[in-house]
Amino acid sequence: MNLPSFILKNALRNKRRALLSVLSVAMSLFLLVTLQVALRELTNPINDEGSSLRIIVRNKVSLAQPLPARQLQTIDRIPGIVAVTPFSFYGGLYKGDEKFTSFAQFAVDPQRSLPLISDAKGVTKEQLEAWIADRTSCILGKMTADRYGLKVGDRMQFTGQIYPCDLELKIAGIYYGTADDRNLMFHQKYLDELLGNPGTVGTWWLLAASIAEAPLVTDRINKAFANTSAEVRAESERAFVLGFVSMWANIKTLISGISIVVVFALILVTVSTMSMAIRERFRELAILKAIGFKRRELFVLILAESFGLAMFGALLGAGGAWALFNNINIQKMTNGMFLMFEVTPQMLGLAFAVAALLGLLSALLPMINVARTSVVQGLKTLD
Amino acid sequence: MALPLNYSFRNALVRWRSTIATVLGIALVVFVFVLLQSLAAGIEKSSSNTGDPRNIMVVRKGSTAESASLISRQTLTEIRYFEEIARNENGEPIISADVLVLASLPRRDNSGEANVLLRGVTARGMELRPQVKLAAGRWFEAGKREIVVSAKLAKRFANFGIGQSFKTGSATFTVVGWLDGGGSAFDSECWLDADECRSTFERDMYSSFLIRPTDEAAGEKLITRIEADRRFKLKAEKEVEYYRKQTMTAAPIKWLGGFLAVMMSVGAVFAAMNTMYAAVGARTREIGTLRVLGFRRRAVVAALLLEGGLLALVGGVLGCAIAFYWNGYTTATMGMETFSEIVFEFRVTPKLVLEGLAFAVIVGLIGTLFPAIRAARLPVISALKSI
Repeated sequence: MNLPSFILKNALRNKRRALLSVLSVAMSLFLLVTLQVALRELTNPINDEGSSLRIIVRNKVSLAQPLPARQLQTIDRIPGIVAVTPFSFYGGLYKGDEKFTSFAQFAVDPQRSLPLISDAKGVTKEQLEAWIADRTSCILGKMTADRYGLKVGDRMQFTGQIYPCDLELKIAGIYYGTADDRNLMFHQKYLDELLGNPGTVGTWWLLAASIAEAPLVTDRINKAFANTSAEVRAESERAFVLGFVSMWANIKTLISGISIVVVFALILVTVSTMSMAIRERFRELAILKAIGFKRRELFVLILAESFGLAMFGALLGAGGAWALFNNINIQKMTNGMFLMFEVTPQMLGLAFAVAALLGLLSALLPMINVARTSVVQGLKTLD
Repeated sequence: MALPLNYSFRNALVRWRSTIATVLGIALVVFVFVLLQSLAAGIEKSSSNTGDPRNIMVVRKGSTAESASLISRQTLTEIRYFEEIARNENGEPIISADVLVLASLPRRDNSGEANVLLRGVTARGMELRPQVKLAAGRWFEAGKREIVVSAKLAKRFANFGIGQSFKTGSATFTVVGWLDGGGSAFDSECWLDADECRSTFERDMYSSFLIRPTDEAAGEKLITRIEADRRFKLKAEKEVEYYRKQTMTAAPIKWLGGFLAVMMSVGAVFAAMNTMYAAVGARTREIGTLRVLGFRRRAVVAALLLEGGLLALVGGVLGCAIAFYWNGYTTATMGMETFSEIVFEFRVTPKLVLEGLAFAVIVGLIGTLFPAIRAARLPVISALKSI
């Protein structure tokens, strides 16, 4: 019998305990990874190249304050912009039967918006033309279409929650491949018409010519409307989304605080149970010592066992989380509340680091005891 | 015959290391559960604490919140003289047409901006909301670009001190006072003059009407009358009802609390089981002796369950105590309905404490049950022989 198989035999001789230990480590690390993923999703917006190129211009007062439609002429003259379109969040209830609609509806100028949605796939040229031509039509993200079982040609009814008007839209095309395949886009003109042409839009959405040009463009726009009756704040789509993160306020801190508590709690119990397994074998360890095993060798024995159990738990918990979140459709499960739910290598690294620490900590106490105790004392121990 | 209580108690003390770990582990599980639920309870409490039962709130049909509602001025002229609406001593109908504006303002700690709810309020509107008191300074004067901010928001946003000023829209407002909403939703608002608010933010429309009907019956009649009139497309309900429903923000927090509690308790059950199995294993001979002495199986099971349950209960009490430390602590997040910063307090209610304790005991009992059954099933003779 060699050392590794001795360690393995030792670890598994109480199979139930090994299983329970591994499972509680796995559970805590699964939870740790899940919380990290959720936190990242809340605080870290989608970061593709497009989100730095696309710019959102809102009223400086707040997002809820509309902008005058006449600003378009000024923006059109600003250099460095490839495309600009009105972009008004309609925020309606689909069919009026839900309390909360999981997808956004935006009023845009379809013709002008084409360069901004160039990454959308699945809409044919004819469908795009049909959309541009029919004022009451819309294009819809595939995720939402799948969720409600909608296809091209179907009609959708909305009750306005922000705007005092209801909508009925015909689906001209269904797209996918964008950062958020849930949204619906329809004609700003149609919205204006229903509202009696108030001469306002929600925000402006524009595309900068290049990444280098983007910050210059936002500066130019902010300056162009400074000291007018409707001052604006232009920022990249990414910065815009990050602005929402600030609004979550203390909840963010709270969740990160809680994940620390969760991990700490579970480490505590696990360390205690795992070191118990070794404490119980005190007499045996003393015998090993008596027959000539060195202290160092005993340390290796103890450490390898708890380290191995912890790592196995990490593999199960963190690996399980990774496998689970990679293979389920989180968008569908949470009704689009979470989009990516991506387990990053850093999170896996963190989980394994915690497991390593756990293995070390649970070996520490028994190791100190073994070192301190003489053979005779150890042999006398009863429990 | 049952085993004495002391037996369970002393056993827990003998293996104090794992006892402490188990108690602390369960305490933290209960802590997380109670803390998150107390947040949700705080949001619900602040909502249900808002409004006067006599008032009727009118918003546009389909709007989730006042701040997203638009009502035309023409509607006001039409509704204003309904005979169900009470009059004050000057014969004016007691109806307040408010304007709500969201302003994105910088936080005090430079950590970005958040939306603050500004309420353009009339003199009637202030009378209709007696909950709102002046905490410091004085009320605003119309036409002077003055604003009264919530004392609780003043702790969170830059330039909200009395005498300071901030710019939003085309105007620079001077803070002249702090308001105290008495733990209601008004603690998350800033008040200014309604007409000034409308002109500054170029709002032609009103956001909501708050009405005092002549009496209860007239109130009912008014609600049906406004709702039935198809010209208006308005939703009328009691002010307290309106606020009671503003708890969308609490739902995900509740869900998170439940989810974490369940997941953590599974981990805790595994650990508790491990400890108790070990305890039973170490006491095999002792249990055999007890059986020989005539203690029945169920007495052994009961003693062990008592031991596990007791430990868990201590953990539960400890967890609730730690959570209670935060009771009344003010915190804030973005309200899902208003889309603005809402301030509320952690509320560790008696119901939550009971739930937390029950939860702890259940975890303890489940963790102990299987080891206890195993102990009871030990064959007496071989148990006695084991070392």
